[in-house]
Amino acid sequence: MDGHDRLLGAFLAGELGPADTRRWDAHLLECEQCWRAVREDRAGRQAAHLLRQPAPPGLADRVVFAVEVAAAGITPGHQTRPRGRRRRWLAGAAAVAAGLAIALAVLLLPGGRAGMPAAVAAVARYAQAITPPAGQQGPGTGGAAPVEVGRPVTITAGGQQIVVRTWRLGHLEAVVAVSGRPFPMPPGARGMSGGGMAWSARLGKLGLYCLNGRTSELVAAPVPAAELPGLAARLPPA
Amino acid sequence: MDGDHRAFLEATLPYLDVVYQVARHAVAGGQEPEDLVQETYLRAYTAFGSYRGGDMRAWLAATCLNVARSDGRRRRRRPVELPAVALLDWLPGVRAVGGEGEADVADVVIAGLDAQAVSRCLALLPEPQRVCIVLMDVAGYTAREASEALGCPRGTVLARVHRGRRRLARLLAEAGVSHGWP
Repeated sequence: MDGHDRLLGAFLAGELGPADTRRWDAHLLECEQCWRAVREDRAGRQAAHLLRQPAPPGLADRVVFAVEVAAAGITPGHQTRPRGRRRRWLAGAAAVAAGLAIALAVLLLPGGRAGMPAAVAAVARYAQAITPPAGQQGPGTGGAAPVEVGRPVTITAGGQQIVVRTWRLGHLEAVVAVSGRPFPMPPGARGMSGGGMAWSARLGKLGLYCLNGRTSELVAAPVPAAELPGLAARLPPA
Repeated sequence: MDGDHRAFLEATLPYLDVVYQVARHAVAGGQEPEDLVQETYLRAYTAFGSYRGGDMRAWLAATCLNVARSDGRRRRRRPVELPAVALLDWLPGVRAVGGEGEADVADVVIAGLDAQAVSRCLALLPEPQRVCIVLMDVAGYTAREASEALGCPRGTVLARVHRGRRRLARLLAEAGVSHGWP
């Protein structure tokens, strides 16, 4: 049967020589079983053609972004990590509307810090890439209601899947990352009292505030870390 | 190697659409095809330094399939395979095919299809057949390119795609998909 299928497959693909093709043509006139096989093959092929679908808009930007980031080699601690892990830190990132612009911003960032958990580093990088420096953010949040900027982005870092959303409050933009797994404390972070396992940290001008629990939330914004719990409370629940 | 990323993107981005076609049907349960495409490009970029020419489309397809398989193993999940009975439950216009005087399978299938039903039925095929159909009929690979991507003889690819198409047609006929065909 396998040999028969190979021959019939080659016949249907037009890969048989003229003599074999003539033999198959003649055979098909007499053999109902093979003629049915030909018709079924054609029907299956036509059905499969229905599945053709162009790549979604934005996928090219996303791929370019990921490759640019990988090329920049800015994964924190990447020198001691296997390459496979290094490549995954931003996997899933950036169904970002301004993918290329963000990629350029990421490339201009300073290098990472050794020992930084990949998930935290990825969120911090993302926040640094999309939020303007604190000095350009204007007078502050005031009493502005949060407005979501862009669409949620899924990042996979250190094997941890994270959904990242960006919120604008007045002149301030804050990144909120949500994951089903806790965000590990980075070096230099401070544990905070209160319910759950909370910590805060400072990365340059970026403040980080994390509340780990059944669903863990990491808020990143260019404000003092002490202000982030209050800021987080103003954002919609994850 | 890092300085080569522009050359890499220039060489590979024209094939984004075909990689996406492969990814959509090779993706493991719970994974998004866009994630698989991105991981494919990242892995291909890592290996680009050792790329020695040849068919770029076939190389990217092979990379995509390898990433999908390794990711599937990592997740320890198998592709979702609906039993035929379950399939019949949700497909519209189900009618049995069999017995004397049955409708010709090809006629039933060509009578009308919708892409969602085709996609569900395609998922029921054994992986070797499904992959060959995706490469050749969905992504537009030639038998030679598919055989290069899969690392098996061209005759094997042709036999698999033929058996897969027939099986796909029969599944669709059994499901009685009979509307939407232009």
